[in-house]
Amino acid sequence: MCKGGGANLRSLFHATMLKTKLAALLLFCSFVCGAVASDETVTRQKLVQAILSSGDEQQKLLSELADDNSKIVHDTLLSWTRDEIYLCETANGGAKIPVLLEEQQDAEGKARAIRIDDGKYLADEKGAELHFDSSDLNTLDTDMRLRSAVQQTLDLLALADPNRDARRDVVQKLGKSQKKQYLPVLQARLGKETDAGVKKAIFVAVATINLGDADPSAKIAAINQLAKLNSIGSLDDLQRAANSQNADVAKSAEAAIKSINGYLSAVNFFGTIFRGISLGSILLVVALGLAITFGLMGIINMAHGEMIAIGAYTCYFVESVFGTGFTFRIVMPFSIGGHAPGFGATIPGLHASGWFYETYFLFAIPLSFVMAALAGLALERTVIQFLYRRPLESLLATWGVSLILQQCFRLVFGANNVQVNSPRWLLGNFTLNDVILGYNRLFVIAFAVLIVIGTWLLLTKTPLGLLIRAVMQNRNMAACMGVRTARVNMLTFAFGSGLAGLAGAFLSQIGNVGPSLGQSYIVDSFMTVVVGGVGNIVGCIYSALGIGTADQVLQQVFGSPVVGKITVLICIILFLQWKPSGLFAARSRSLEG
Amino acid sequence: MKRKTELLAVAIVAILVIVILPLLNASGIVSNFTINLYGKYLSYAVLAISVDLLWGYTGLLSLGQCLFFTLGGYMMGMYLMRMIGNLGQYHMAIPDFLVFLGWNTLPTFWKPFASFPFALMMVVLLPGLLALVFGFLAFRSRIRGVYFSILTQALTYGACLLFFRNNLLMGGNNGFTDFKLLLQQDLRLPATQRMLYISTGILLLLTYCFCRWLTKTKFGKVQRAIRDSENRVLFSGYAAANFKLFVFVASAIIAALGGALYTPQVGIINPSEMATDKSLEAVVWVAVGGRGTLVGPIVGAIFVNTLKSWATRAYPDYWLIILGGMFLLVVLFLPKGIVGLISDCGGWIAEKFKTTPVVPDLKQTPDADSLPNPQPAIRNP
Amino acid sequence: MKNFILTAEGVNKTFDGFKAISDLNFYMDEGELRTVIGPNGAGKTTFLDLITGRSKPDAGTIQFGRESTELTKLNEYQIYRLGIGRKFQTPTVYVDHTVFENILLSMEGSRGVFSALFARVTPAQRERIHDILKTVGLGEKIDAKAGSLAHGQKQWLEIGMLLAQNAKLLLVDEPAAGMTDEETAKTGELLLSLAGRHSIIVIEHDMVFVRQIAKKVTVLHQGTILCEGSVDEVQNNERVIEVYLGRKHHHN
Repeated sequence: MCKGGGANLRSLFHATMLKTKLAALLLFCSFVCGAVASDETVTRQKLVQAILSSGDEQQKLLSELADDNSKIVHDTLLSWTRDEIYLCETANGGAKIPVLLEEQQDAEGKARAIRIDDGKYLADEKGAELHFDSSDLNTLDTDMRLRSAVQQTLDLLALADPNRDARRDVVQKLGKSQKKQYLPVLQARLGKETDAGVKKAIFVAVATINLGDADPSAKIAAINQLAKLNSIGSLDDLQRAANSQNADVAKSAEAAIKSINGYLSAVNFFGTIFRGISLGSILLVVALGLAITFGLMGIINMAHGEMIAIGAYTCYFVESVFGTGFTFRIVMPFSIGGHAPGFGATIPGLHASGWFYETYFLFAIPLSFVMAALAGLALERTVIQFLYRRPLESLLATWGVSLILQQCFRLVFGANNVQVNSPRWLLGNFTLNDVILGYNRLFVIAFAVLIVIGTWLLLTKTPLGLLIRAVMQNRNMAACMGVRTARVNMLTFAFGSGLAGLAGAFLSQIGNVGPSLGQSYIVDSFMTVVVGGVGNIVGCIYSALGIGTADQVLQQVFGSPVVGKITVLICIILFLQWKPSGLFAARSRSLEG
Repeated sequence: MKRKTELLAVAIVAILVIVILPLLNASGIVSNFTINLYGKYLSYAVLAISVDLLWGYTGLLSLGQCLFFTLGGYMMGMYLMRMIGNLGQYHMAIPDFLVFLGWNTLPTFWKPFASFPFALMMVVLLPGLLALVFGFLAFRSRIRGVYFSILTQALTYGACLLFFRNNLLMGGNNGFTDFKLLLQQDLRLPATQRMLYISTGILLLLTYCFCRWLTKTKFGKVQRAIRDSENRVLFSGYAAANFKLFVFVASAIIAALGGALYTPQVGIINPSEMATDKSLEAVVWVAVGGRGTLVGPIVGAIFVNTLKSWATRAYPDYWLIILGGMFLLVVLFLPKGIVGLISDCGGWIAEKFKTTPVVPDLKQTPDADSLPNPQPAIRNP
Repeated sequence: MKNFILTAEGVNKTFDGFKAISDLNFYMDEGELRTVIGPNGAGKTTFLDLITGRSKPDAGTIQFGRESTELTKLNEYQIYRLGIGRKFQTPTVYVDHTVFENILLSMEGSRGVFSALFARVTPAQRERIHDILKTVGLGEKIDAKAGSLAHGQKQWLEIGMLLAQNAKLLLVDEPAAGMTDEETAKTGELLLSLAGRHSIIVIEHDMVFVRQIAKKVTVLHQGTILCEGSVDEVQNNERVIEVYLGRKHHHN
């Protein structure tokens, strides 16, 4: 059933996409190609001129080329530095044609030549393409001065790269080389540069080059400059300077190292805090669901971790459907009439690309909530509703469910971890004073805040929330007042499971998704609930962020995730000595009234 | 009368298991494989009793009982590793994995394990002390019910992570294996394995007798009182925490002894044995067999593991589903387990054939409302 | 100078901003039978909780006996061992134990772990248990599971457990709830017979029962003492009438 419907949908979709694409392509060509072509001709002419001229004129032409940020210039100059430009003399009279040889060679080891002046293959009068052996041709003559001029042009080109990361890399490379010759290039770029990060990199690069100066006072100035810039990447260079014979240089280098190390530990600290908060946000979303279900029904849901996995696999599924499609087949472990019965389904992919593909996550988020909530609903109806007064039994029964679900994940999605490709807008990061803030982690934090606010609104401002709180405070009384407590339980349980599903959606963006994904988070989230105080959302927030951050900080301190985790566990046990019912214990007057 | 029949039944089964079966093995009727397999099951049964002593009798659902079992196994494993001597792959006087980690000499804490009595003492001492410290902290702060379960789960989770580390010098994730000798006996010989089997049988018998005695004393009465109404016990003047601590330590030691006999029979011990799932599996045995009885855990451990041996070979992909499903069914529909089912059936049949009027069944499910609520109900004034 | 068996001074207890007990001062003579009444939420059960260590007061002292032992620093079983017994509002017995075992567990004597391991039931103890069960009318049910008893019988069993303990101070929370009139009267007689040898605090709603047993009545209202005196004095006190009749009951 799925297959047929899906296929129709796919073909329809495909056709539409194809049309759109074609139209866009044609439009693009007719608009832009002409203009580009004429520019390209000019550029090619300039290149040929630069190649064929010599002396000061050649230098001048090369520096002009530095302003032309096109791929042809870059590629050609690069070939030039590698001695891969050949001069071909035409038979009929002296004109030298600069050419490149194609990489692909024919059977005799010869290759076609591409003319630099028009980008076409070199041909004889009859129009037949000519093939050459590289040894047959004359290499363009170069000398040291020319080479460095070409290289400098290339560097300048790279410095003008539209991508700021690429620019920064080049700046760093130039700085590391510690060659004075790059100073004018870098200074020139500094005037044009607008990006603060690249500007800082240029300052660092200039200082690093100056560090190579023979003059001690210049060295010291450079060292102080690096210290002022808090350049973490320069620590090695500074270390070398600290070993210098000159006492003054060594002293200022050591001071600089100390200052930068101080800065570095601050950066690490804030990076750790950031990771801790993002881990805490995930824990928070997981634990929030757990806290609500436990607070309401006194039920510890051991299958809560599998609700996380359902959310994460939903993400994987949606991503597959937007991509190449999804197929699974389960074979029964017995055979009837010689072959094993089984069932399966193929959901064809949309083969989406571009912005449309990137939106898959926006569909996946609500769907992961819905899927986990439905699973929770089913779990509540089939198992948990029979175990309301038996908390320990419900713990065990839900563990049974958790085993079954884990195995089902293995059967449907395979025993190995699957990878969910993040949409591009979640990849990458930005750097704030050297602290790297990943977009995915920022997104998680932001979304957790939204979820907490949403949960709070749901509990305090909606009719359902009113019912939930009523049942939480006094189940029997609520039942007497006509609240359908069974229904409230069901909805609350579904809501709590849905929150776990959302957490799973986030986790799929941070790591791989596997059948036992939930298991690695469940102990932590139980701890979060216990520390926070059962059924207390404020306590849950504090303890999730506290445990998340403590986990990351202790990992940093001990240099090992395991020791960090164990320390957190021990701390929790000791904490419970001090406050046995958690941070924010709801006072119980169960005997009275 | 009833007591006599029970004693008789236990004696018959014990003779069958501890005397007859090994004799059949020695005469070649029962295979070495079977004896070895049953030896494993019997050590699991010891573990199951320790779980039941906590859960069924005291109401403490520990999800970390396998930690103590495995620790016992590790202590025995350390002795067995020392007994390998220089027969290992590297032909060095220290265990292979230490050579692999770049050690030339034995770490200090490994040294005394060449002595069997010391190892045996550690089998009891280490798990016992861990249980004492953890139990003291947990019971002192009145952590009970599901909180206790969660905390024990966290404990075994932490320990499992710790043992996976190579830095602990306990073999990392491979644990200990390739044992050769136990008390100068070659472990690969059927006779040695038979002796181990018999030892496990005797341990199980002793465990059974100890637990039976314990649960019949006044201590046992307090124990069950704690299970049913811990608050009431406090208001009867008993320091419930001390009673719970005693049971917790005792059952940790029982589990550890089981683990110590498990290791040489299985020939390997590694951290995956103390994963949280294993402890829950042990709880399944008890639930399936029938908690709150001493026969139940034994029946459950043997039944579930026999099923597991078969199912993991016949339907490897479906074993977890079978296990989970079985657990679900038992919890939902068979709270008294197999033993409870049989005795209910027995009672039903006896009733059918009785001619005299029967005393009305006084059994009734514990009235959850009649006591100060053991769960911290979330109520606001 | 009389000896107080129980002295509570300046006791305060707040639950989430709700003042359950506020500035309570309470004095009780040795051997006295005191009845405490008050509307719902007056803090009666909370008061018992504070005495027995079930919860700790935010401020104030509660002292017990001739040695004036400070109770607020002790926990439940330590307080019990001083000789303070309590019967709960809802009967709390060990449902899975027999009636005999319920009494046995409550008998005075050692409470240690190791003594429990080797304790044996002596003939004297057995006889005492039989006596107690006869007193509370459960002689027939000696081997029945406590969980199988009717509500009123559970009440009696709990009273029996209190007797077995032989406590100096008995705290009895609504003993007549769920009993027939006849049983209620019998409970009253039992309590009266115990007074003198034991000190007793009874919390009760049933005014007929209160009339039967009470010599001195304390009225609690909003966590503090409204008035104390004989039944007639209390019933004619205008503030008591106002609290009970003039206003709506405060629910918690």
